[in-house]
Amino acid sequence: MASNLPLQLPAGVSDLLPPEAAALRQLEQRLLNCFRSWGYQEVMTPTFEFATTFQAGSPAGEEGALYKFIDRQGRVLALRPEMTAPIARLVATSLRRRELPLRLGYSARVFRYEEPQAGRRREFHQAGVELIGAGGVAGDVEIIALAVESLAQAGLEDFRLGLGQVAVTKGVLQDLALPPEAVAGIKSALASKDLVALERIYDEYHLEGERRRRLELLATIHGGREALEEARACFGRTAAAASLAELSRVWEALGAAGLEKWLFIDLGILRDFDYYTGIVFEGYVPGLGAPVCGGGRYDGLLAQFGYPCPATGFALGLERLLLARGETAPASLAGGYLVAGRDLAALLKRARELRSKGTAVVLDGESRSRQEAAARAAARGLNLEWIGE
Amino acid sequence: MVTNLLTLALPKGKLGQDALQLLQAAGLPVEGVATEARQLTFTFPAPGIRYLICRPTDVPTYVEYGAADLGIVGKDTLAEAGADVFELVDLGFGYCRFVVAAPRERWEEAGRSLENLLAGSRRVATKFPRVAASFFQERGLPVEIIKLHGNIELAPRAGLADLIVDIVSTGRTLKENDLVEVAPIFSSTARLIANRVSYRINYRRLTSVVEALKRAAGQGGEKIATTN
Repeated sequence: MASNLPLQLPAGVSDLLPPEAAALRQLEQRLLNCFRSWGYQEVMTPTFEFATTFQAGSPAGEEGALYKFIDRQGRVLALRPEMTAPIARLVATSLRRRELPLRLGYSARVFRYEEPQAGRRREFHQAGVELIGAGGVAGDVEIIALAVESLAQAGLEDFRLGLGQVAVTKGVLQDLALPPEAVAGIKSALASKDLVALERIYDEYHLEGERRRRLELLATIHGGREALEEARACFGRTAAAASLAELSRVWEALGAAGLEKWLFIDLGILRDFDYYTGIVFEGYVPGLGAPVCGGGRYDGLLAQFGYPCPATGFALGLERLLLARGETAPASLAGGYLVAGRDLAALLKRARELRSKGTAVVLDGESRSRQEAAARAAARGLNLEWIGE
Repeated sequence: MVTNLLTLALPKGKLGQDALQLLQAAGLPVEGVATEARQLTFTFPAPGIRYLICRPTDVPTYVEYGAADLGIVGKDTLAEAGADVFELVDLGFGYCRFVVAAPRERWEEAGRSLENLLAGSRRVATKFPRVAASFFQERGLPVEIIKLHGNIELAPRAGLADLIVDIVSTGRTLKENDLVEVAPIFSSTARLIANRVSYRINYRRLTSVVEALKRAAGQGGEKIATTN
């Protein structure tokens, strides 16, 4: 019979069948356990809030990205596009009296009106942490080290974390003293590694010699300790020097902790330039066209909620992590039982006994014979327990 | 299976042939690679290079999704795709221009003013709705975009649209259909693009190829451009 109801889903959302759902839950638990082991406590915020809460946050909360609706009082609400702004609101209100630093973790579905493509959905699952009230190198080192451990806990073997420092770019641009439209063009070209657009800007604004070299280096510097040396040589006497020294200290500390093999420096990693204030990073996996994780320092956000305070954090995309791993956990009830027979009371009693030992039990009061029940158990990969004659 | 291959997406057709010339000039292996053949993948295990031969409009998609590390594509196609990729080098060949065009008679009647031309009906036919929409939006000109898949110059004749947005190289097709260029949008040449993740985690490997292509484009770009 034909259905009168729509059988397809809107673009950018999907159902998770048992194997995918099991894999996602398993991954979520591993990440939350990892966060907990570092002292991060889980918080949960509403699925929707006033739209202005999100507009204070990262570009994920920009007008075009929000799913908005209006309540009966005419106020504009929105589904959350990310978790950092709601957590900032939570800290500035309910947790305001708590001693800093605060270590908070989460796992939640978020909603963004994006063009759906590989690993980019309109509804997706994020897990992450926010370290509130820890400024400077120690906070950055902790967050980056936790990001590395989270990716390892997620079951990825071959991943890299790229570190950038938006304050270096801001310092270099400040020294160049260019008109605002040129600065906007450079920011945009650097963020999207549009080296062709950068060339045009060099020509248009007659950027030559040392000034041009600095911008070229911002766009192309990449590597480990040697990249930092190169940056120091070029930016050592600019407004970027202090933030570069900070990045060097973070790199040294992470290297001393044995994490260097997962890391590289790329000053072209800017993420959301105007939102982040210091060190930023992204996690990459070969073969996946988009980052699996991203974060950084956003010292200006909490002030917008009336609680000036340094903060840093990161988020991982769970669907992207599963895509990167390339396999799903079998949603089997391995080691479970099919308890079958005609005496329903006896079935329920036996099932309760087995479940109390932590075993999954499926009831079958429909099979008319042991053979029929055995076939059903085999089809589900379960052990059979037949109760009756 | 050969692992650790650097994969380059190349467009079929004229642009692909010019790209092969450039790759050869850059010292990359291209023996036996043909952009018009039935075979769509060509692998060179020793240098670890693989080519994917795609429809031009698919090159940005292969690169964005990470199925290819690098790609060669016209800026016209790239602008329309809106793909999240890194644009690394202007390769200098495959020159064409995006323009707004209108029937000559209508253009004269409108006093050669785009605003006057759009005062009546406002339908624009194009193969490039993203590029067209952004051009008119930036100028605050409300239009209705009609997406077609080819022979755009037919739309004004058939009364389907008042204006077209299309790419021109010589302008001959416009002339033959009594259309005139009423506004330039931008010029397009072939670009070298990279997947944003590959570029960062295979940086050394990719930049050696990028630099070789940049040098070859600097020396041979003009020569290739004249073959258009």
